[in-house]
Amino acid sequence: MPAPIYLDHAATTPVRPEVLEAMQPFFGARFGNPSSTHRWGREARAALDEARERVARCLGAHPDEVCFTSGGTEGDNLAVLGSWRARRDPARAGIITTPFEHKAILAAVHAATREGADERFVAVTPEGIVSLASFEAIVDTTVALCTVMWINNEIGTIQPIVELARRARARGAIFHTDAVQAFGKVTIDAASMPFDLLTISGHKFGATKGIGAMFIRRGTALEPLMHGGSQDRGRRPGTENVAAAVGLARAAELALAEHDAEHARLLALRDALERALMERVPDAVVHGRNGPRAPHIISISVPGTDSESMLMALDLKGVAASSGSACQSGTVTPSHVLTAIGVAPELASSAVRLSLGALTTEACVERVAQLFPELINKARRLSGSAS
Amino acid sequence: MGDRVLVAMSGGVDSSVAAAMLVDEGFDVVGATMKLFCHGDDIPDRPCCSLDSINDARRVCESLGVPHYVLNLERAFGEDVIDNFVAEYARGRTPIPCVRCNTFTKFRDLLRKAEAIDARWIATGHYARIVDGALHRAADDAKDQTYFLWGIDRRVLSRMLLPIGELTKAQTRARAHAMGLEVVAEKAESQEICFVPGGDYTAVLEQRLGTSAPALSAGPVVLSDGSIVGHHEGFARYTIGQRRGLPGGYRQPMFVVDIRPHDRAVVIGPREELLGHGVIARELNWLGAPPSVGATVRVRVRHRAAPALAEIVRLDDDEIEVALDEPVSAITPGQSVAIYDGDRVIGGGIIERAGRGPRQALPVVPASRGLSLSI
Repeated sequence: MPAPIYLDHAATTPVRPEVLEAMQPFFGARFGNPSSTHRWGREARAALDEARERVARCLGAHPDEVCFTSGGTEGDNLAVLGSWRARRDPARAGIITTPFEHKAILAAVHAATREGADERFVAVTPEGIVSLASFEAIVDTTVALCTVMWINNEIGTIQPIVELARRARARGAIFHTDAVQAFGKVTIDAASMPFDLLTISGHKFGATKGIGAMFIRRGTALEPLMHGGSQDRGRRPGTENVAAAVGLARAAELALAEHDAEHARLLALRDALERALMERVPDAVVHGRNGPRAPHIISISVPGTDSESMLMALDLKGVAASSGSACQSGTVTPSHVLTAIGVAPELASSAVRLSLGALTTEACVERVAQLFPELINKARRLSGSAS
Repeated sequence: MGDRVLVAMSGGVDSSVAAAMLVDEGFDVVGATMKLFCHGDDIPDRPCCSLDSINDARRVCESLGVPHYVLNLERAFGEDVIDNFVAEYARGRTPIPCVRCNTFTKFRDLLRKAEAIDARWIATGHYARIVDGALHRAADDAKDQTYFLWGIDRRVLSRMLLPIGELTKAQTRARAHAMGLEVVAEKAESQEICFVPGGDYTAVLEQRLGTSAPALSAGPVVLSDGSIVGHHEGFARYTIGQRRGLPGGYRQPMFVVDIRPHDRAVVIGPREELLGHGVIARELNWLGAPPSVGATVRVRVRHRAAPALAEIVRLDDDEIEVALDEPVSAITPGQSVAIYDGDRVIGGGIIERAGRGPRQALPVVPASRGLSLSI
């Protein structure tokens, strides 16, 4: 079998060698606890402080506005529940979100409703973009928090975060964005953009799993999710994961330094792949194709096929793809994202997400451009003969 | 590498050993666990189809070095199996969901998944054997599962592998240990219906039909002479042959001998009223040539019953009648009749009612009709 092809970078990415190298000392001599007063502690503290400063620079933030977390899910939960609990104002019970958020947001918002919050969903267009008019209509002075993902993890559409944040702010609401897929793909600058909270996750751009960061704008009150020591200003008690934080800082810097070239490269590859697929499977539907889109995600549905069989068949041919966000047991259920943008269940159940990244080359694209239509034709022959 | 085979893996010992044996034999094994229903997170330790079972199947595949997939067949299973299960109880019958699961879910829907990945074969951990392209009873009579397999499409037989059909359960467990499948080797066997939490099927009926459905509402308990001797809380809570929960005070043990949805009656009677002399069945399926009228066969009307000698007395496109040499107890509408020629499964059907037996079996089927059917 030819070398396997990884087209699931939106799920996770390989750890970059530079990141691993940067982390190495902290698995050895520099093992100290940053809260300790002795030299080992000071060394670890220095590394952590530096990592925080570097991440802050990458986000256009002050170092004290950066909080290290375990990743996207923790960041999203801390943003939603932490800001809700810190304020908990019955006159401002509204939490606005979108129906196509990551489950970490949807579940956290829903959890807040058990503590008195009132969840409200903004309308989204068939193109996969939040409707500004709908947002405008529902953001009022009863809203505590708005949370909208920057880039959708299943279809790659880019949301108008600056416009949304500005409107939320104008009504006195806190604005959070889940930027897990966005970091390194779009320009993020806390200094010039009006969001209050932002979540990123290291393993989506070459750092290790289990590390993420939050931007928390000065003056934004958050109640910690966990209770314990005063690490990270009490926002995130627990001994810091120094090695991973250092790795995250390195990965973030690399992603920004390479952003322009990598963006252009991925865009060219994605367009080539998409063009080839559409040529060979003319009735295929690429979801969110007409909106502004990130360069690394193609969500494609082909009538008469099912994603479960396609993913198995692709995997057994050495191609890793996914149908959207992976779920606990590994099963495939119709995507809430596609449902939210009005894709019919039949079409949604055939969606396959191909996500490009560091491991994607022209050769990968050529092979998948050939293999995917072959498998589609086969699946259609089978479903035709079965019915 | 050998032919590709898709192995249906429940996370239990039987299908795990089946997969391991196929790996040993050089097949290109792909494991799949079907997710057939969802209880949510309410039941953390279900023996089947729960996340734990999926995890066990995955662990086995990891140790065998073969890929494992979870296939979501919830919607089709709900329509083909659970809906039918509920509908059958609602009309006073006692269904066997495992038969329809084999017929529709495992050996039709799963086969389509096998085709999508170019798998020549499909395998399961059933105790049954394929001999010369025909379905035969398992070597271990106590474990034989052919009673649940009569309904599958005969074209599937040439693509089925049943690796543990030659083993006893003890041998299967021993193999699991020998092959290092400690995760599953001593797993308890489930006798329950997989989608019925805690074994209480009436809870499923209540949820699906509503507690005021006729099948779950009060009705009379009567004797076969029509006299009312008590009341029950819904005929769907009873099955033919049941003894538990009936009015007492009789000289001999009493059993449910009939369920009559039209007047919601549960008919009870002594043991001899349970005896049936024949079987009439519908929803027929043949795994080879249909039997001829007049042929002597063996039939099973319940799992693990000794196959009983019988004669085919009538056979139409959609209904069969067999006469039993010796009467059989508790022939239950909704259950299956599996029909055998020796060890070989000829086919079967869903029991409509008990038949009249050899003496009254009429009418005589014209010879031409009989011939045309015995192709």
